[in-house]
Order: sequence, then structure tokens, then C-alpha cells
Amino acid sequence: MTRRYQATGGDIDEQNGYRNVFDDEQQAWADAIVAKYPNPRSAVLPLLFLVQSVEGYVTEDGMRTVANMIGLTPAQILASGSFYTMLKKQPQGEYLISVCRNISCTHRGAYDVIQALSERLGTDAGNTTADGRFTFETAECLATCDGAPSIQINYDDFYDVTPQDAVALVDKLERGEEVRSAAGERVRTVREISFETATAGARLPGTAGDHRARTVGGEAQPSDFLPDSRPKLSHDEGSHSG
Amino acid sequence: MAEEVRVVTKRMREHTEDSWTLQRVLDTGGYDGARKAVVEMAPEELGGEVKSSGLRGRGGAGFPTGVKWSFVPADVSPKYVVVNHDEGEPGTFKDRELGERDPHQLLEGMIIAARAVGANKAFIYCRGEFALGSRRLDQAIRDAYGAGFLGEGIFGSDFDFDIVLHRGAGAYICGEESALLDSLEGFRGQPRLRPPFPAVKGLYGQPTVINNTETLSTLPHLILNGSEWFRQWGTEKSPGTKIFSVSGHVNRPANYEVPLGTSLADLLELAGGMQNGKEPKAIIPGGASAPLLTSTDVALDFESLQEAGSMLGSGGVVFMDETTCMVRNTLVTTEFFEHESCGKCTPCREGTWWAVKVLERIEHGDGRQEDMDLLLDICNGMDGRSFCPLGDAASWALRSGVKTFRDEFEQHVAEGSCPFGGGERVHVGARVGATGLGEAGITSQPAAGIDADSEPEAAQP
Repeated sequence: MTRRYQATGGDIDEQNGYRNVFDDEQQAWADAIVAKYPNPRSAVLPLLFLVQSVEGYVTEDGMRTVANMIGLTPAQILASGSFYTMLKKQPQGEYLISVCRNISCTHRGAYDVIQALSERLGTDAGNTTADGRFTFETAECLATCDGAPSIQINYDDFYDVTPQDAVALVDKLERGEEVRSAAGERVRTVREISFETATAGARLPGTAGDHRARTVGGEAQPSDFLPDSRPKLSHDEGSHSG
Repeated sequence: MAEEVRVVTKRMREHTEDSWTLQRVLDTGGYDGARKAVVEMAPEELGGEVKSSGLRGRGGAGFPTGVKWSFVPADVSPKYVVVNHDEGEPGTFKDRELGERDPHQLLEGMIIAARAVGANKAFIYCRGEFALGSRRLDQAIRDAYGAGFLGEGIFGSDFDFDIVLHRGAGAYICGEESALLDSLEGFRGQPRLRPPFPAVKGLYGQPTVINNTETLSTLPHLILNGSEWFRQWGTEKSPGTKIFSVSGHVNRPANYEVPLGTSLADLLELAGGMQNGKEPKAIIPGGASAPLLTSTDVALDFESLQEAGSMLGSGGVVFMDETTCMVRNTLVTTEFFEHESCGKCTPCREGTWWAVKVLERIEHGDGRQEDMDLLLDICNGMDGRSFCPLGDAASWALRSGVKTFRDEFEQHVAEGSCPFGGGERVHVGARVGATGLGEAGITSQPAAGIDADSEPEAAQP
């Protein structure tokens, strides 16, 4: 039996040939996320985190769901989503272990931690274990150099990690025990942390979305110096208020 | 005896158990600065005070904050304030700690900035990997709304102000302000052509003030106490205090707040000196982008470090002792820039990739006599030839590694191995989803050294 996340749930959109990955409750969150922003395109990253919370990773159906929802093409969603390391486009484990490999951590023993984890998990950095429980990666500076060498498990921090510490953390997670970070935070699963990240803004009061704005990012730069050659999208039609 | 001057870090250091809670913040003068800014001062007074304080941006570029604000046109609406809380410069961890331990101080600074430029909406672009920091910001924003510090008519005035918390998704380049804006608009985080500058045309093409977390966290104290008070520390051109993130081979790695102009030697003393009584061999004074120093006899301010051939940057100070292989250090730094290059500009994208290949073979004993000059040539091909400073930074770090420690590079080549015994081929390369596409994409550079002898053609000058 594999414990690797499988895509689940949702209705098949037969007309457009993909599976809508959001159920009603998830769709309500998605709508709340979009409502935060003056332009729905700004919701792309949180919506892809929401997909990751539902699917375990960013699936093609998930990208199509998001594209259809905010009126972009699947290619535009892939173009944005593929840029960012936290949005995984392949199945990942329940726990993502990220070992900082930047200067301060390297100089204080990160390679020993990487080797210990490679041996314990039976896989090199960049892979998921055969049972689908752990994904192990190296990461760039996690801004925890005061605790070098440091690692994150699903983005909660562990400081001054020895090879023995790292192995012990894996042991604990494998036994299904609760693990707490340096700050005492309970380590979340990939789905939990993805949901938390997706809804970081939507859970709070306040909005920046009370007027409609056009985006200017991407390849075309509307400015006093260049013509705006970017094709118009349906949600670009709103005008600036004021 | 060197001592800290705690202004921005005062609350978090004196109340380590609860400095992030609203109750503690209110008990320690929190929101007094924001209230004064909204209730007692006119927007132009705020701008004037910040301008005369000489406060310079704490994110890396050191641009005067008041001057940045003054570029915002008065007659265009809406305007936005965006917080750059996407800290990722290697060796820097001050904004993370400020967000985790004093999120209300940041919100207060945002209120002041928004009031000064006439913005009613703001975004916090919080680095995706900052899970704890995001939770603390979440609670702080919730509590601030509850207390009437955010929302409609804050502090009983007619000023409305909303904050939206937005999470990044893993990309160093989004700390570059125009790339941050593209990311916040839902695009790949790639830098924009300037002009126009964000102050004139930023988020959604509207006037946008983008400030670093530490910069904004300084404002409540500055507004409450005035620019003269602020100028009691620092130098004429670098006034105030600054947080330095100290790490590497020191006894007490941590954030230390000291007046600008403090000597690097004093900062090292604050951090408990070097481990095992060793001497510093190389020091990065301002994040991985900053060229290396070999002496602690330098003042930590913008102008002195520039004179010394380096830069203050983000204030990330990394001390390295004599056991450090400088080829390895240069390789790790260059791998970082290679990984984080957004790919928009060819010199940066290809230059960093090429340099990593050459550095790998030197570190693993397959280097050639001409490699050091080749690396310097690659630097010349990157420096000043890209949209944003990432390509420049990559070349500065690389050039200073090769030039300052050329003898070590030559020793690697001559001996055909790493004299520090660090040449073992640790598989550190592969990062899951580096492009996010797995097998379909270029997932990463090969693991350190694995291809070192299989691609000699890549290095022909």
C-alpha cells in the first residue's frame, strides 16, 4: 500500500475535460481568497497552495481548476506556479524535510545532517521515500543562521540540528508521534501547512479588493516608455477607482 | 566593552515570553507612535520627520526612506504600501525575528508609512517559508483590527487602513522590489524594467511604497521621539541603530542591534568572539552579496563599508575561521545565486550556471590553471548586465572570493584536491521542485561534483 498522496475528490468538468478539485467548502475558501485582492490574478499563489492542500501537490487538474475559476489559461497558471519552490508539481511525502545548505549552515555542519538523513531515509536529497511519507530536499538560506545548522519540517524550524537530532526527528514522525519545533509549534502535515499558507490572508478581516485593478506584471510593461502590448484579459476591464 | 543599543529590538529582548502579544505591546508603549502619526501629525509632517532623520532602508540598498516616499505622487489614487518581508539574503535573519517576536511593531510602522503617503491599503509580502512568523502576524493583525488600530477610522480618526497578509511561495528574487510586485500580481517573480519606479507606478500600476520590515519597525520610535533623537546614533550619512545578524564560526550567533558606525571587531565581541579562540579568516559583512573582508578593523556603516570595497547590504554578518575552505564557500554562494536566478536575463542565468561548473571542478580537484581567470571573466560578463542586482551580486561574491583567496584556489588546482578535506562529493544539489516541474523541468544543477569531470567543454573560455 502506498501512502503517497493521490488526487482525490471533486467533480469532472466534462465540458472542459478536467476534474474540479475543490468541493463546496474548498470553493468557499477559494472565493474568499480571490475577494482579498483588487485583481483575481493576485490569488494565483494562494489558490495553488489550496490545490496543494487538497491534492497533496499541485496537480494538472488543480491548475485547470484555478485557471477556469479566475479566467486565465492553464498555461498562465503553470507559468506562474512553476516558478516557486514551495509549490510542488509532483507527489510529495506527508512530511517535507528541508535542510539549509547555505553558507552559515554549511560551515556549521549541514553536510553531516544531509548525509545522515540520506542514510536514514534511504534516498538522496531531492526525493521522496518509497513509502511516500517523507520528502527530503536541500534548501537555500532559511533565515535561521542563528541556529545553524537548521532544518525545517513542513516549514517549522529546528535549530542547531545534529545528525543524531535529524534522525531522531524522522524516527518520531515515523512512529506517528507529535513533533514540536524549536518554538514549540506542532509540526503540520503537508496538507495542513499548505492550507494554512493558502488561507493566511483569507482568514483575516480587511480586504484590498474594494476596487478593480489591472495587473501590469509579466512580460509587457505598460509605462510611459513602452506600449502596453499585452493581450487584454476579461478581468482587466475594470478601471482604477479615484 | 561593546554594548547593544536596543531600540527596535527592545521589546523582544526584554519580554522574551510574550513580546508578540497585544497586551504586552500596549503595556510597553505600543501603538503610541502610530496614534501620534494618525491623530496628531499631518501626513507631510511625517514625511518631513523621516526625511530629516536620514533613515536609510534596512533591506539592502540603503536608499533614504523619506526620499523614497517623496516620489509618491499626491494626486493619484489608490496608493499602496507593501512590506518586503521576504527575507532571504544568506546570513540575514533579522526580519524573520522581528516578524515572529514583534509583529505589532511592524503593523505600527505600516500605519505610519500609509498615513504619510496617503495609502489606505497595504500588503505584507511574507516569505512562504516563515510559518511561525505568519502565524504571529495573523494573530497581530486580528488583534489590531479588534482594538481599532486597523480597519475603518483607526484611532477614532477618519483614516481607514486595511492590511492583507500575502504569502510568498519560495523565491529569493521576490525580495527584489519589482519582482515582488510581479509575484504579488500573480506572475513569475521577475524584475521589472525601471523607470517607472514603484513609487510612481507599482502594484497594479499604482503608486506603491515598498519598505523592508526593519525599516518600518524603526518608524514608531522615530515618530514618537523625533529625528534629532534618532540622529544621536550612527554617522551623518548613516544615522540610527541597525540590527546585524551575526552567524558563522562565532560563539553566540544572534541578532545584535548597535549604532551604525560600530566597529566589526566590537560586533564580533558582542557575539562572544570566534569559536575555539580562532581568528576570523574571512567575513561577509552584509549578506552573501557583499564582497568578503579579511579584517575586523572597519566601521559598520554604509559609507565605511563602501570605502572598504564591500557593502552594508542587509546586515547579515558571517564570520569564517581558518578551517573554512574558501573555494567551498564561493561554490556554495554561487550555487545559491544560480538556483535563485530568475532566468530573465541571460548573463545572470548562464553566468551563474557556468561559474558553478568551474567552481565544482576546482573544489573536487579537477581544476585547471586558467580557471581562476575564467571565473573573473565570467564575473565581468555578469556585472552590470542584468535588470536587477542579482547578477551583480553573484559576480561581486564570486570575484571577491577568487581575488581575495586566489592562493587557495591555486592550491586546489596544484594539489588536485581540497586542502581542507572538504572535497567529498556530498549530494546536496537536488531540490524538489526547483522549477516545480520535476522530471519535466531542469530540476537543479547536478549534485556538487558529480559532473565535474564530464563536461570539460563547458569551461572553454
